[in-house]
Formats: sequence, C-alpha cells, structure tokens
Amino acid sequence: MFADNWKISLRQIKRLFILDIFGISSLILPGIFSTLTGADGMLCLILGTVGGIVLLWLIGANLKYMETDYYNYIKDTAGQLLGDVIMVFYFLYFVTLCGFVLNQATMLVLTWLLPDGSWLGVCILLILLAVYGSMRGIEGRARVYEIIFWFLGIPLLIMLFLAVQEVDTARWTPIVSSGGAQILGGTLAVLIFTLPLTALLFLKPFCTKPQQLASCGRRALFTVMVLNALIYLILVGVFGQNTMGILKRPIITLMGMVNLPGGFFTRQDVLMTAVWFFALFALMNTGIFQGTLILKQLCQQCKGSWTLWITAVLSFFIAKGFFEYNFLTEVFEIYQSHVALPGMFLILLILLFLHWVKEGKTAKQGGNH
Amino acid sequence: MPIQITADLRENIRNFEELFSDCADIKKRNIKVGKNLQEECYIAYIEVALSSVDWKDSAVGKFLGKLRSLPEEELAAYVRDNVEDISDSQPFLTIEDAAQAMLTGDVLFFLNGYNKALKIPDKGYPSRGVYETESEKVIRGSNEGFSESVKLNTALIRKRLRSPHVKVKESFAGRRTHTNVDLVYMKDLIHPGMLEEIEKRLGEFEIDGTLDSGIIEQLTEKRKYSPFPQFQTTQRPDRAAMAILEGRIVLLSDNSPVALILPATYNTYIQTSDDYYSRWEIASFTRALRYLASFMAMVFPGLYLAMTNFHTQIVPTALLLSLAAARQGVPFPAMVEVILMEIAFELLREAGVRLPGANGNTIGIVGGLIIGQAAVDANIVSPIVVIVVALTALCSFAVPNEEFATAFRILKFMFIFLCGSLGLFGFLTGLLVVLIHLSHLESFGIPYLAPFVGADLNGYQDERDTFLRLPLNFLKKRPVYTREGARTKLKFNQQKEKQKK
Repeated sequence: MFADNWKISLRQIKRLFILDIFGISSLILPGIFSTLTGADGMLCLILGTVGGIVLLWLIGANLKYMETDYYNYIKDTAGQLLGDVIMVFYFLYFVTLCGFVLNQATMLVLTWLLPDGSWLGVCILLILLAVYGSMRGIEGRARVYEIIFWFLGIPLLIMLFLAVQEVDTARWTPIVSSGGAQILGGTLAVLIFTLPLTALLFLKPFCTKPQQLASCGRRALFTVMVLNALIYLILVGVFGQNTMGILKRPIITLMGMVNLPGGFFTRQDVLMTAVWFFALFALMNTGIFQGTLILKQLCQQCKGSWTLWITAVLSFFIAKGFFEYNFLTEVFEIYQSHVALPGMFLILLILLFLHWVKEGKTAKQGGNH
Repeated sequence: MPIQITADLRENIRNFEELFSDCADIKKRNIKVGKNLQEECYIAYIEVALSSVDWKDSAVGKFLGKLRSLPEEELAAYVRDNVEDISDSQPFLTIEDAAQAMLTGDVLFFLNGYNKALKIPDKGYPSRGVYETESEKVIRGSNEGFSESVKLNTALIRKRLRSPHVKVKESFAGRRTHTNVDLVYMKDLIHPGMLEEIEKRLGEFEIDGTLDSGIIEQLTEKRKYSPFPQFQTTQRPDRAAMAILEGRIVLLSDNSPVALILPATYNTYIQTSDDYYSRWEIASFTRALRYLASFMAMVFPGLYLAMTNFHTQIVPTALLLSLAAARQGVPFPAMVEVILMEIAFELLREAGVRLPGANGNTIGIVGGLIIGQAAVDANIVSPIVVIVVALTALCSFAVPNEEFATAFRILKFMFIFLCGSLGLFGFLTGLLVVLIHLSHLESFGIPYLAPFVGADLNGYQDERDTFLRLPLNFLKKRPVYTREGARTKLKFNQQKEKQKK
C-alpha cells in the first residue's frame, strides 16, 4: 500500500540533514570560531557554505549520471577494485563519525543530564538505541526526524528569540581582523561539518524524487547555516569572544541563562539539552545506517542484521577510544581535514571526470560507427 | 461427507435429529399442513429465537397458515415457486448447511416431497436492541450505540449511509462458533488492496471460537508485541459511518458491540465524533488538550521523578521547598512512593470496572478520597504524589479510546522506572524508544504517525485535521487512506458555478 516501499520524501530527507548537521555544528563551531577567528566566524560560515554548495554541486552532478545506486555507479565508472576502495573510504568516514558523535552525545549526557552516570552505561544505551532506530530501515528513521523536527525547532527558536535581548552588538566588532590562515581554518571547519551531506549520494534508491536530492541538500545546508549564523551572533553578543572561548558548550550555557517570561522554569539548559541530544542521535543514526548500507553492499554474503551489529560495535569501540585517549580527537581532526574533506571532493571530481571520459569515448565510438 | 436432503421427510427428520440429539434448547415440531391436514411438515428452531407459531403474529405462523389453505398436492410446488426466493428465506441442500442456518437464529422448515430445507427468518436470537453507548460519550450528536447483533449493527450504519456504494461483505470466523463477521465499506472510496489485505488476514487463522471482535483484532494485527492497538475500536455507529466515509473499513463481529476500524493512526484515536459536530474553535481546543493528555498520561509521573530527584535546578526554589516539605516524613524513596500510588490507582480502577454501577462509584469515592487522604495522613505518601497520580489518571481518561489509553498507562511504568533511575536522560531515552517504535508501526500500510509523517502523500491536506481541526470549509479532502481520485469530500456550489463560467 503506502508504507514499506523503502522510499522517503524530500521533506523527510531535508529534515534529516538539518538535524544531522545542525546538532554537531552548533555545539562545536562556536568554540572553534572563538579561538580561531573571533567575530570573523561569520565570514567563515559564509565561505564554508559556499564550499558546501560546491560539494552539493558535485553530488548533484554525479547523481545525475547515477542509474541505480552509488556503489554500482562507482563500479561502472571506476571499476570494481577502485569502487571497493572508495566504499571502504566512505565506510570509515561514517563509522568514525558515528563513534565521534557517540562519544560527544555520551559526554553531553554526562555533563548536563546525568553527572553521576557511567560513561559505559550511557554509551551502550545510546548505541543500542541507534541500532533499534536503524533496524527497520530508512522509512522509520525518516519518520522519527520528521516528527521531532518542529518539537525541537520551535523551543529552540523561542529561546534564541528570547536571548536576543541580552545581545550587546558592540561585541560583534572588530570584523575582518583575523589573518587569512585563521579564516581558512574556520572555513575548513565549517566545510567539515557539511560532509555528512555526502550521504545524499547513497539515498537515490530511497528517494521519491531523486532528481531533486541535491537541491534538497542545499535547502538543508542553508537552513543550518542561517541557524548557525544566528546562534553565533547571539553567542558573541552575549558572552563576548574571550568568555566564549573558555565555555565548554556555549550554546547550552546560553540556554541556561535565558529568562523565560513568568519565571517558572529557572534553568532551561537541562531541558534544552534535549535538542542536541536528539540532533546528535540523528547524526549517530545516520552514521550507523550509512555504515550498515555500505557494509551490506561490500559484503553481499552477510545476511540478516550482522552488518548493523558490526557497524554498531565498531562505532562503540571508536567512541571508547575517543573517550580514553585524548590524542585520538586530534587524530580525528587531522583525518577530517586532511583525508576526509579532500577525499570527498576528490572522489566526486574523479568520478565525474571518469564518467565524462567514458561518455566521450562512447560518443566517439558511436560517431565512428 | 454432507448429508443430502431428500424428498423423504422421515429420512430428513431422522438425519436432522441425529445431528441435534440431546439439544434441549432446539425445538422440533411436526405439523400437519394442506387443506385437509394430510401432509406433514417439520420445523426446527432455537427455543427463544421464534416469536410465536401463532398464525397472526409471525412470518412462520403466517407461512404455515398459508400452507393449510392449499391442497396437499400443490404444497411442494408452492414452496418451490413462491417462497424460496422471497425475502430472507433461503433453501439448503444438505442437513449440515441447514443446521448451520438454524443456528444463526432462524427457523428451519422441511416438507414431505420437497428435497430442500428452507430457512425462514423470524425474531432471531435475543439481543439488547439499540442502547446508549457506555463509553465514547459525546456532548453533541447521536447517542445510539452498537449492540451485540451484527445485523442490527450493519443496519445502524446503513441507516446513516444510504448509498448503494456501501458494501457489506460477510464471512464467518471460528470453527465451532461460526461467528458472523461483516466488513462494511464504501466501494468507491476504499484504497485498492485494503479489502484484500484484511480478507487475507482473516483467512490466515483458524480458531475454535471468536466470541468478541477483540479476538479477531489480536489475530489479525501484524505487530503483536506493540502496546499500541492497530485497529481503532468504536461502539458508535456515527463514528463507524464517518470512518467509512473516509475510505476506511469497518469490521463488525456478531455478539460484539465493538466495531473495529481499519486502518488506524495516532490521530484517528484522538479524534471524536463531536469534533466535527461542534464549532472548530472548541473542537480544536479539546483536540489539542487530548493530544497533550495522551502524552502526559505516559510521562507525567516520570517527569515528576526526574525533576525532583535529579534536576531540581529546573524547578523554582519556592516550589522546590514546598515539594520537599510535603515529602517530609515519607519513609519511601520517591520512585517507590509513585509506584505504590500508581498500583493502588490501577487497583481502584480495576475494582471499579468489575463492580456493578453503583458500587463502582463507591469504590471511586472510597479509594480516591478516603484511602488517599488516609495514606497522606499516615505519611505513607506525600500529597504531591497524590496530585501527580490523580492528574495522570485524568489525562488517561481524556484519551477517547480505551485501548489506546491503555498503551499509555502501560508505558507510564516504563517512564517511571527510566526517569526514576536516569532522570531526564531516562525521559529522553524513553521518549526516543516510543517515538522510534511509533515511527516503525503501521496499520494496514498506513504509518501510525500519519499525517505528521508522510503528509506530502496527500498534498499536506491531512495536517488540517490534527492538533487543530480547521473550519469544515477547509477540510475538503478525505484522508490519505482513501482511494486516489476519490478524495474530494466537500465542494461549494459557488465554486462549481465559477468553474462553469
């Protein structure tokens, strides 16, 4: 009948990506900007968005030539071996991302919701939840985010609106005072947070209108970046750059400072943590889902939910690594900026180039005949 | 091997009585018919199912009266030519089929020289008739309720939907009960595949007996371990008629006053009949209130535990102090206190349901007022917990569908446990589990959370009848479960004229 067709709508996809990108970027980006660029974070956001649009253009261009799914497209364009290598690259990206976000979500819970809790207990509970969320495929996942989108969005917008009155606009200056290297660093950071958009490449078989996937990604990117810009301006305006630099998660601290009219609730930061809890969970879920999907394609003999469990267990151990060894976070940052980011662009460019070459050859052969 | 009915009345009687030996409730009578009372016939019926064999009063009496006015040699021909196809009478060729027909509450007629048995309808089994519904009360609208007779129930729907497109598909469930199960639907509105799906599911099981629609409901549900029902239930013919107009299918089972409606969504459980009879402002307000109630019925005690045990910083200091003062002297931890009160309340509810009407009310007063007050006075529970439990109960009563409300009552205990041990993290975890479960749940292919999910399937029209019920002139389309191309339910004549121009 209607459901169970493994297809999701563009609205669902858009909301999925908004939550995916917004959660982690709004938590981490303000801290990065305050240490790197100060008020020029806005410039980084704009430049990062432009970079994101380029990425989405590459995604869209490749999607146009994709006949069935991404894996088959890569194999047809670059051959079986290179195809498998590229898929392993994507698998590693999504699994490490999932592990990183899992650790972030666990730390968020332990910092704001359950200070006396055990890291292991919370982490296991979260990963089990993510497995449960991914078990019945993409339709169920998309529906969850379609529902929670406004439940999270409306309180967040209200809180941001209420926080505006605390903003001191003098703190927005000076602008264009950072060096080129810092601005480039901030821009790359923004760009790194747009990388989950590459999951769009894998969604073609699941989308009701696949030809609009890239534009749907663009809408999600714009929404997130507008929200991030708004949050950043408010944060700088309220805390100033120096204070923001020493805060662990400035956006959640801000939520605790907003005075609600009526004064019934005195500290909303705990309640508002829910927004980031759900958003981080969304990204974690995306990581698990994409990882499972890629593993299933790479290992077609794996039946049942083995691939899901393998991805989940791997993500758990990666998260544990991040928790126990601080240097791994630095390694992850280097991996993201030096391997994942250029890798994503390069793969899409190479695939596009190879496809054009192949198409040119075919056209030439057709002409000769 | 079925036993064929022959023209020999003696043989038919012998076969029939062998089948119904030791059945004191089955009345069997030999009656002389024909002008000279020379021919023999035989009638069999369930004692209470026949009003009277008196000539004047009943169909059977009048029929026998007619047979007594005819010459003996014309009787069989008369029955064959004039009675077989009239009204509800139906001929049967085998003893087993005839017996089954009699067990539906009709009279069975055998005649010497006539090689069939004739079913003649009469009063049928005793039933309550049309009464006011006990549940699903409305402020405005009809108060008629379904009864235990499936025929009466279909008639109540037919009374409201006088269209030849309304179809009633009859089947039987239960190997030994042969319970009549009717599927009522609007032929031009139901989604293709929906009828086949329910028929397929009905054919997937064989059971001894189905004594209520609840048994059919459980056997045809796909997600059997979900606390949420996948069929909507109603005792109101107007609700059932409304569902049929939305392209849904109503399943009626004999001996059950509860109709099943499929497919069902979270939204349909929250809707009531008078949402559409009242003005949109009040309908929207009560609808939103019911949504809130369904959520609070599940999470309120858990949230109380999370806020008072883990996240006291959220609560204003003055309120926190009064909460702490109220708990002074209570020997139990807050979680135990809440669980004790919730169990006590569930016990009261169960006792109230099982006891006869007046006593049930007494239980409410004794439980709610006397035991509650005594428990507070004895410092077993704090007054705040009594308020929390009472408010939670109020919320669960505000959910219009009992089966649906039960799901929240059960999940409430999960939230108490999670929030009592993990605080708001437990609350968020529980919420996510419920949300994921509901997102995966479907009723006959329709997402349970529609139209909050997949609203684009019907051009975002269904969202107009969710938290808010927009004015009726905005609700021009039928919901997504209606067949495509038949979704317009409201048109204004002015628009038609404009279009013509």
